[in-house]
Amino acid sequence: MITTVVGNFPKVAETGFGTKLRTAIDRWQKKELSGAELEQVYEEVTRAVIKEQERTGIDLLTDGHIRWDDLVTPFAKKVDGFEIDRDLVRFFDNNVYYRRSILHKTPVRKQPMFLADYLFARSCTTKPLKVVLPGPYTVVSLSEDRYYKDERPFLRSIAEILNEEARTLAQAGAVLIQFDEPALGFGKPPIKQVVEAINIATSGVKAKTALYTYFGSLDGTLEALQHCRVDLIGVDVVSDPKAIGAIKRLKWTKELAVGCLDARNTKLESVVELHALFDVVRKVVPQDRLYVNPNCGLEFLPFEQASQKLKRLVEAVRTYRSP
Amino acid sequence: MLLTTSVGSLPKPDYLVNARSQVRKGGLNAAQLRALEEQATREWVAFQDELGIDIVVDGEQYRGDMVAFFAEHLPGFKESGLVRSYGNRYYRKPIIVEKIRRTKPVTVEWWRFAQRLTNRPVKGMLTGPYTIMDWSFNEHYPSRRATTLALAEVIHEEAKDLEQAGAQYIQIDEPAISTRLDELDLAIEALGIVTRGLRAKTITHICYGNFQALAPKLMKLPVDQIDLEFANRKFELLSTFKRMRFTKEVGLGVVDVHSHRIESRDEVITNLKKALQVFSPEQIYPDPDCGLKTRTPEEAKAKLTVIVEAARAVREELCGVR
Repeated sequence: MITTVVGNFPKVAETGFGTKLRTAIDRWQKKELSGAELEQVYEEVTRAVIKEQERTGIDLLTDGHIRWDDLVTPFAKKVDGFEIDRDLVRFFDNNVYYRRSILHKTPVRKQPMFLADYLFARSCTTKPLKVVLPGPYTVVSLSEDRYYKDERPFLRSIAEILNEEARTLAQAGAVLIQFDEPALGFGKPPIKQVVEAINIATSGVKAKTALYTYFGSLDGTLEALQHCRVDLIGVDVVSDPKAIGAIKRLKWTKELAVGCLDARNTKLESVVELHALFDVVRKVVPQDRLYVNPNCGLEFLPFEQASQKLKRLVEAVRTYRSP
Repeated sequence: MLLTTSVGSLPKPDYLVNARSQVRKGGLNAAQLRALEEQATREWVAFQDELGIDIVVDGEQYRGDMVAFFAEHLPGFKESGLVRSYGNRYYRKPIIVEKIRRTKPVTVEWWRFAQRLTNRPVKGMLTGPYTIMDWSFNEHYPSRRATTLALAEVIHEEAKDLEQAGAQYIQIDEPAISTRLDELDLAIEALGIVTRGLRAKTITHICYGNFQALAPKLMKLPVDQIDLEFANRKFELLSTFKRMRFTKEVGLGVVDVHSHRIESRDEVITNLKKALQVFSPEQIYPDPDCGLKTRTPEEAKAKLTVIVEAARAVREELCGVR
């Protein structure tokens, strides 16, 4: 079993690396700090969260998405054709908000988007580090389309942009490129089009690829997702406990990442609980094809609890003896 | 008809904002802070009174945020470390660590303080059980449902005490109500526990919502009045009401609280008249879209003034016609 995190990490840590970033952004907004100085703080905090993951003993790291306000706007800001709206919108079923990206012309990727971030993060650690990008369907779901006014071409063009970016990152050495698709847990996703878009995004990418789902319920979509050309699929069994049953009933052909700790509540899971869950999932997928992680990004938690949960996960894996 | 009011929070004057940060740094004690909160409350009540707002609020000068305030005053909650809400905004999300108890009233004393300052009715302001549950971590109760229902009983006690003290209007804010559609019925059930047996007029304010999902259930909300943001949705919500039988009162948000721009009197008059094609004059309570605490005091005053002037003009016109 490989331990990993889903994506983001708390950006401030009163009981850890401090709240410097919050102050720096505040001062930068008031023009008391230059862009270059803010940049330095971003790097410092990125390094700190990478070190934190290393210290905890996580196997597969992320850069903690320290520069990301949410899953979509950092992507949209780097694509020509989007504008960011003014009003705040609820991020799925969380008390967390974002500003909608509005597409008003053909979206174009002009240059590598997250390459520099990846290269910096990799320079901070010798452990494997994955890159986390939003999936095409989530970008489309959380944006407003004033250009195509049709979901299918919008999905395709976003998938193509993600594909260019993923190829660039793979070329630079990223071991795993993950696409996050929380939007799949809500409403009735047009599953054939989503699979088509994900297959565009991963096409020809010379790295391992993952599709992560979390929040909501995957009622009926898990089976169709087996048709995605990805190596690994992440499933959040905390938000939707029924997902376990669905996984068991399916002929699971991919590697599986199980979101097994609740990253949206502070209550700490016990080792016993986690072992019981491992017992169930290892019957579906052999342990060497199994990843375990919190059910979503850790930023919904204060630093202290986020860090405790990761330690608990590592402890549970270390002490696990399969029956 | 067209009784004017506001949603709850009003901006804190600079001296109070500074004082609150002084308290955190240890430069000011609780009694000193309290005196300034009282001063700010007096100023806001006097402003509303002179302006002629029909139903006054105390302005919540003594509250940080609408959930944390209750969490700070109800044993069973613990304060957490910082979590991010959006952009560079962080808050401390309360953690429920044991059974929530209400050892004494939370809002009644401030309500009394404000009511003594004016002859106009002052609204009692509560946060709803579903929203408190959704905006807290829970380490004690076995489920979201159990948490919500336990909170509902506590908030019900508070509402009863407000009524006992003389509150004629009690507002229970539920901005989180449409967060999870599969929990909508739970939120409604909990609100019913809060308003159970109350004779005061009850109101709920809902924002940030998936309104379309909520629309079919609006008549089921166990309150007399539903307060919604119309202005920042360009009054598109009116078309939903046109298509349904809606007999409750409506708190009609006519100014956008997220915008620095002060709406013109004529614009608000036009929108009130649009609303009058859908609701009766007695049904409508013009107010801002949401709490005004994120605006500057000057902006908030200007927005409230426009609401009162516009409502007055429309009222006069209606009476003249009759």
